[in-house]
Amino acid sequence: MPDPILVIEDLHVEVEGKPILRGIDLKISPGEIHAIMGPNGSGKSTLANALMGRPGYEVTKGRVLYKDEDVSSLSTDERARKGMFLAFQYPTEVPGVSVVNFLRTAYNAVHEDNKLGPLEFRKYLQEKMDLLEVGDEMVNRYVNTGFSGGERKKAEVLQMAVLDPQMSILDETDTGLDIDALKEVSEGVVKVHDSNRGMLVITHYQRLLNYVEPHFVHVLIGGRIVRSGGKDLALELEAKGYDQFRTELGIPEGEELSDQAG
Amino acid sequence: MSFTKEDVEQLSAALREPRWVLERRLDAWKIVEDSELPHGKIEAWRYTDFRRLKFSLDPFRLAAPQETTEITEVQETLVKEEGERGGYVVQRDADVVHQELSPDLAAQGVILMSLDKAVVEHEEIVQEHLFTQTKPDDHLFAALHCSLFSGGTFLYVPKGVSVSVPIESQRWIDEGGTGIFPHSLIVVEEGAELTYFERFQSIPIPNDSISNGAVEVVAGPRSHVGFVALQEYGGRVWNFQRIDMSAARDAVIRSLIVTLGGRFSRQEVRTAMRGEGVDCEMLGLYFAEKGQHFDFRTFQDHIGPRCRSDLLYKGALKDDSRTVYSGMIRVEPHAEGTDAYQTNRNLVLSDHAKADSKPELEILNNDVKCSHGASVGQMNEEEIFYLMTRGIERPQAERLIVNGFFEEVVGRVRQDEIRQVLSDAIEHKLTGRWHSAGEEGA
Ligand SMILES: Nc1ncnc2c1ncn2[C@@H]1O[C@H](COP(=O)(O)OP(=O)(O)OP(=O)(O)O)[C@@H](O)[C@H]1O
Ligand SMILES: [Mg+2]
Repeated sequence: MPDPILVIEDLHVEVEGKPILRGIDLKISPGEIHAIMGPNGSGKSTLANALMGRPGYEVTKGRVLYKDEDVSSLSTDERARKGMFLAFQYPTEVPGVSVVNFLRTAYNAVHEDNKLGPLEFRKYLQEKMDLLEVGDEMVNRYVNTGFSGGERKKAEVLQMAVLDPQMSILDETDTGLDIDALKEVSEGVVKVHDSNRGMLVITHYQRLLNYVEPHFVHVLIGGRIVRSGGKDLALELEAKGYDQFRTELGIPEGEELSDQAG
Repeated sequence: MSFTKEDVEQLSAALREPRWVLERRLDAWKIVEDSELPHGKIEAWRYTDFRRLKFSLDPFRLAAPQETTEITEVQETLVKEEGERGGYVVQRDADVVHQELSPDLAAQGVILMSLDKAVVEHEEIVQEHLFTQTKPDDHLFAALHCSLFSGGTFLYVPKGVSVSVPIESQRWIDEGGTGIFPHSLIVVEEGAELTYFERFQSIPIPNDSISNGAVEVVAGPRSHVGFVALQEYGGRVWNFQRIDMSAARDAVIRSLIVTLGGRFSRQEVRTAMRGEGVDCEMLGLYFAEKGQHFDFRTFQDHIGPRCRSDLLYKGALKDDSRTVYSGMIRVEPHAEGTDAYQTNRNLVLSDHAKADSKPELEILNNDVKCSHGASVGQMNEEEIFYLMTRGIERPQAERLIVNGFFEEVVGRVRQDEIRQVLSDAIEHKLTGRWHSAGEEGA
């Protein structure tokens, strides 16, 4: 067994003094794709942000190991330079900064020993654009500015392909995509994945998992992983919803599943 | 104040200029004698308190023209790494030391030379236009400028001539403790086209200097005129500048003021739309840090009917710097069908920096479309986080965001060769390579 890429141990996270994650354990080995599913507000994005060290996401207990190193005290950019990547649920607009310029700056930050000049980088970028079938028009625009929902998600996957991370976290990269775009984006994700990399895919829908086949599916409710299984679990969730966990967790009818964090 | 009437007379004698020039200098000097250093009680100087800034006119002596200075005229610098120029004028302290014009433009009747020389060699046309736009009676600094101007640039583009590459003037301060007073007179005749670029720089100097310059632009009917000023003075320079542009019927007139340098910089930019149907763009961009104090005043003077003016000034502030923007849109009684827009946006990167923004409107005609907006905002932490998740360190993320903020202005510069110079100058400043007075040393 190769060493895992990412190990999450008993992770507790508070946001603005409010406990959101209440003890997450997860281990991702090279080549593995893990899916996280769960109702709105259950803490999925909180987990993604906490893994990247977002300011304001306070780890009150537990730790995160990336390639055997405790990254809990590292800043966001340090984690990224070590090979962690987050595709945002809601990618941020950065007005006035072109995608090309931004991506070259990021690439050169991540690949400090192998920096590329503008022309070399443009060639490298073109390869990735061809791979993901992204047109010129997108990379000359300002980062996410005026992008449609689908374009934003495509741009996130392009960024992932360009930066070439070893551990990618995809937060609802499939949400807001039409059927064709979903196919394109998921195929892109699959192209970028290989046996050296780990992937954590947050999604609400089984349809993404038709393309990006997970080795494990975890159900996150109320800041805890309440069940883990194979990819069949996703099908079961799609059929039965999250209500089946009520009795299991002792949550009475009428009370929201996501409110269990309080 | 150390400047005297004798300075004016000696300067005029040294330049061997015609009598009428001395008379204009002396008229302005009368205003100097009746003026005091502006203070906070005068509305136009409300946010610039010279006592707090510890500024006075005492320590400066006039940078005098050197008898020995020879103007070089070699035709060798027109094509530079940063792009081609149609002509150059280089001024060091009080003197123009270099001037050249592409032979092709000279053959079409374009004139480019130091203003000192032009008052003699092209007396008639200079006399017709000099100080028709810049008036000495606004305040002490305007009057001082009109009394003591030297060096400078005279640029004339005859009717219908199109100058396709920019013409550039450079002003250098090489000597500490002095005052320089460069004046540019730019006359563009009917249907002609020109982009004029003026740069201000200084070498590290041991004591404070003052630069008190003016640019007069006279744009004829249907002319297309672009003016770009890049001010990169070091931390010991107190910069005062006026830019007075006049546009005749159907002229298209654009200005961009980029202010990065100087201990202090006060710039007044005015476009007087005198004819009908003028199309005017006024852009500004500034980055203040390390105690710098920038003060901008703009005037969109709608005099003729159916003119359009679009103004956008954007600035970023760091450390304990301070900026003031105040902009006046004035619509005169006959200016029906006016379209006037004014926007000032500030990005404040430190709790100790302060930006003030003050729009003013004076509208004497009812048939007007007019809007103004101002904002003072901070760096967006979400943008920073987003960039940092891509491995970019915080300082570089901030620089990217500031550059992005400036892009709305820089992106409107039409000439690649000027845009590149501006981008490089901004990058230089953003990467902390500008030095304040203390850092320049004594
Ligand atoms: N900045 C914040 N301040 C306060 N509460 C927050 C903040 N961010 C998230 N929360 C709360 O944390 C909980 C989990 O939110 P999170 O965004 O992680 O949910 P999610 O599982 O990603 O939901 P969705 O499926 O809607 O994306 C919610 O109750 C949310 O309101
Ligand atoms: Mg979410």
